[in-house]
Amino acid sequence: MDHHHTHNTGSRDLRMARSMCWHCQSEMSGEYFCERCVKVQPVSKETDYFTCFGLPRRLTIDLKKLEAKFYELSRAFHPDFYQNKSATEQTISLGNAATLNTAYRTLRDPIQRAEYLLDLEAGSVKDIRTSPPSDLFEEILELQETVEAYRASDRASETGRQLLAQLVAERQALDQRKQDMEQHLQRICTDWDALQDRGEATGQARAERDRLLKQMREILSNRTYVKNIVNDLAATIG
Amino acid sequence: MAYSDKVVDHFNNPRNMGSFKKDEDGIGTGMVGAPECGDVMKLQIKVQDDMIVDAKFKTFGCGSAIASSSLATEWLKGKTIEEAQKIKNTDIVQELNLPPVKIHCSVLAEDAIKAALADYQKKADQTETT
Repeated sequence: MDHHHTHNTGSRDLRMARSMCWHCQSEMSGEYFCERCVKVQPVSKETDYFTCFGLPRRLTIDLKKLEAKFYELSRAFHPDFYQNKSATEQTISLGNAATLNTAYRTLRDPIQRAEYLLDLEAGSVKDIRTSPPSDLFEEILELQETVEAYRASDRASETGRQLLAQLVAERQALDQRKQDMEQHLQRICTDWDALQDRGEATGQARAERDRLLKQMREILSNRTYVKNIVNDLAATIG
Repeated sequence: MAYSDKVVDHFNNPRNMGSFKKDEDGIGTGMVGAPECGDVMKLQIKVQDDMIVDAKFKTFGCGSAIASSSLATEWLKGKTIEEAQKIKNTDIVQELNLPPVKIHCSVLAEDAIKAALADYQKKADQTETT
């Protein structure tokens, strides 16, 4: 790990010269290794996680393919293979392994994958900010009061039992809502992929793209709110 | 990470927790959330003759979010609308000694103040025109 830190600046400089092999200066055509001198190359910061695994930027991905590629690359960058290599190569392979770990964890999970894609794409969407869901907020705050009343109550009392029953029912309803949201998100993801596959450059396609991204953001944030209160409920009523 | 004494104090003895009826005269309601962490904050002001005479809050979130909104209501009371506009999240950070990872809680509180003031203004403008 020490190597990693002391060579940090060096690797950043190397990253900027990505199109050229840092070692033999030949133009890079290989993915992670120079085809001419076979030296390991750093993953560029501009490379998105999909590209890291050679996957198209879609929300439905082949998980088996992702896993296989991840294992393949993990082996390729494994520290054991770099013990006798130069400090630069050790630093690069370590950095690559760390990036790919994060990339794999992100893409493996459908929610994180959608959040990540949104981060990549949302910058170009005008007015992506959605208005806060006031009704949902009111509901959460009210529920929170019930949770607190339950915490303060004598659990064995009639009131305590009633509050518990209410919270159990609320939790079920919220769990269901979270699932509905996830299904809705799934449908939007399918629409997104279909739109990308069509590859149209019309104004209509652009409007559709912005609409889908905005919906994605809305569902993802609402889901976070619901998830939070569900977790809080679970911690209270077990 | 340990909370500062002031955060703990506001967390254990939150000031002005509760709510006003939204449609009552002179009430401004700010309802904001942080989609990144799922915190929800509701902050209300009661205005008479351009002066905030009372403020209440309800927050679902971490200790820092509760403390930030509790402190905000304390500060709002007795301020004019104009003075209230000037409350900055950095003031809250300083007063509560919030660490960098909790700065977004103070941002949320500032957003809530702004939203409450805007809501009050909107309602006031509507009554003027009708």
